[in-house]
Amino acid sequence: MRLVALDTVAERVGLKRGQGAAEARAMCPSLDVIAFDPAADQAFLEALADWCDRYTPLVALDGKDGLFLDITGCAHLHGGEKALVSDVLSRLFSLGVEARATVSSAAGLSWAATRYGDADVIAPGDGDPLLAPLPVAALRLPAETAAALERVGLKQIGDLLEAPRAPLARRFGSILLLRLDQARGLEEEPLSPRLPVPSFSAERRLAEPLQDEEYILELTRHLARDVRSSLERHGEGGRLFELLLFRVDGRVFRVRAHAAVPLNDAIRIAALFRERLQAVHDDLDAGYGFEIVRLSVLRSERLDPAQQDFSGVPDESQPLAAFVDKVSARFGPDCLMQATLMESHLPERAGGFAAVTDVAAILGSPPLGERAFPENRPLRIFAHPEPVEATAEVPEGAPRSFNWRKTRYRVARAEGPERVAAEWWIDGEGHPTRDYFRIEDQEGRRFWLFREGLYGRETASPRWFMHGVFA
Amino acid sequence: MAGNAVQRQTVLSLRETIARIEDRGLQGCARAVAKAADPAGFRRGKEEASRPEVLPLGVPKLDEVLNGGLPFGGMMEIRNAETRDAGAAVGFVAALAALYQRQKKESGCLAPVLWISQTLAAREAGQPYAPGLKAYGLDVQRFLFVSARTVKDALWIAETALSVPVFAAVVLEIRGNPASLALSESRRLHVRARAGGVPLLVFRQAGEEEASSAFFRFQVKPAPAGERPLPDGSVLCGSIGHPVFHLLVEKSRLQASDDIFLEWNAHDRRFYALDERWNAALQTNDEPTDPVDPLSASAGRSHRAHSLGRLLAFPRAS
Repeated sequence: MRLVALDTVAERVGLKRGQGAAEARAMCPSLDVIAFDPAADQAFLEALADWCDRYTPLVALDGKDGLFLDITGCAHLHGGEKALVSDVLSRLFSLGVEARATVSSAAGLSWAATRYGDADVIAPGDGDPLLAPLPVAALRLPAETAAALERVGLKQIGDLLEAPRAPLARRFGSILLLRLDQARGLEEEPLSPRLPVPSFSAERRLAEPLQDEEYILELTRHLARDVRSSLERHGEGGRLFELLLFRVDGRVFRVRAHAAVPLNDAIRIAALFRERLQAVHDDLDAGYGFEIVRLSVLRSERLDPAQQDFSGVPDESQPLAAFVDKVSARFGPDCLMQATLMESHLPERAGGFAAVTDVAAILGSPPLGERAFPENRPLRIFAHPEPVEATAEVPEGAPRSFNWRKTRYRVARAEGPERVAAEWWIDGEGHPTRDYFRIEDQEGRRFWLFREGLYGRETASPRWFMHGVFA
Repeated sequence: MAGNAVQRQTVLSLRETIARIEDRGLQGCARAVAKAADPAGFRRGKEEASRPEVLPLGVPKLDEVLNGGLPFGGMMEIRNAETRDAGAAVGFVAALAALYQRQKKESGCLAPVLWISQTLAAREAGQPYAPGLKAYGLDVQRFLFVSARTVKDALWIAETALSVPVFAAVVLEIRGNPASLALSESRRLHVRARAGGVPLLVFRQAGEEEASSAFFRFQVKPAPAGERPLPDGSVLCGSIGHPVFHLLVEKSRLQASDDIFLEWNAHDRRFYALDERWNAALQTNDEPTDPVDPLSASAGRSHRAHSLGRLLAFPRAS
């Protein structure tokens, strides 16, 4: 076992990364060793990134232990850059996280100064003097490049700044100059944020944390009203909404709600979240309350404003969309389904159900033609055909009687066979052919049975299955 | 003399209350509400007055039992005794839904049918199959299906759906007699369905007879289908034609005199009364040659002699 990370106290004692755990224990008997769990570290870093969402929506992960925050245009909301850095650090300290932070005009410079320097805010133009005394490792170089630089005596960034560029590039590769220029702010460095930036959002910071669900919904309605004005300005309506709840102890909850049609009505948006919050009630632990509530629109679509006419006939798609939203917010989007027809020979592929996507089509699309699909299909089918024991008079004929669910049925009439071959272009060759029979038993129950496999050609003893029930 | 008049007045007002609860007009007693003009002094809208009260099925015997036809709004219950008979009951419910949908379409709006099914019910008796429903006369583009994990979820969805005036019909498929759908819940659904003007078809799969607020309760049993007609007027021997249902009316305003046999013609989208000879043939041929395990005697079978009047208050079946 080797040490991978140390806290400040352990560093002061003189322990090193990569040291054996037994040796470290010998040096410091009261040492507390915790097993390294990269997944948990990553999860914690992502939780911190969520937490940083309160400062800016552009948060990017940096390796295993860093975060980049793009605070362009956000600093003044928090009282300036200096105030923002001290706010971040003091809040993180109270959460029990040891952190360092630097604000500068280049991501590379911030990275170097945070890890190797001690400045908290670097004004544009002050970069080079600060970089000069730092070791070359502060340039985020690959380990072998840094080692090669050390070997030739280029130990500080200042040495690189003075050296001619062309030989450096030839000897150490273009990555060195790229990193150097990025740190000096000469080269643009794009940050890739973890999450897409919502096109519309509104938030409220609260002096007193909120715990009650009713108040959260009330606040959501207020936020929805704020979002609405910007949605209306762009002529759009939201399809996917997200409510971010920042708990006082640093946890962040994300509650998403889908809308069946583009929405910009505050009451409807709040109603979506009423059902969602009911559904996630057990997972949403308010604890000591939420201090920031933010409503974002993650996906929006064009919404043409419609004027109500004087006849007072209500638009039928609105109540249906509200119903679809309500049900899918509470039970998930797959709960409410719409019948779909596919062109396939196999009965189980020909018809199915899919989540409702287009509410307007449900009310508006014309009915299908009469002759598009075969008649003689049962009203219900079993998702998995149930095996039955059938006896037939002739091998290729309809059954005389069969046992299904431990009961014996005598066949009074039978129609068939309807031969359905497997779809080789999907299933591959070698799938048995089915012979379907419509069967009526002596009491008038109508079933759909099939025999799997052709006698002689495909199988010696074909099996029978119950696939559906007729009216 | 005065006391007599007061008594009569009391009885009359009680009768009126009962009639209001049961939602039926009292003969010789015009409802005061219906005649009153609205506060603005206008007569009520024409469409409201001309809106048909019931949807006739075209089968005189059944329409008589139904008091004219299927009501728009309110709860109806259809049950079947055993899971293996579910096919017939599904067929009857789907036929009613198709009728409602067709009526809506004729009045100018394409309305969806919502089928709410307990997941357990769909697993036992199969899932709705879109090509089959289409061939049966339903507009499958306007067929919404909800698979609810518990009865409570199903009831919640049904109640929500009844307050939305877009559905041609709402079907609530429940398996057995769950405790969470008792008389009070059925009353609640019935009131909601009547207020919303949406017909609610409660389909109780493999359930017992139980007190409920439904207008009607039918038990559906399978019956042998007719044979396919040939162009020359004869029938194709040994073929399976349009589905036939054997209906037992268990609850209605009027006592059903007999079992009803109905044939559903998917092409015409209407029921036809089946010839009496079917009825007679079934009565005589009651004992099958190889009896499948005998059914428990049906309580509501109308051709059976009732020894002590008619049972009206059922104990809880759940």
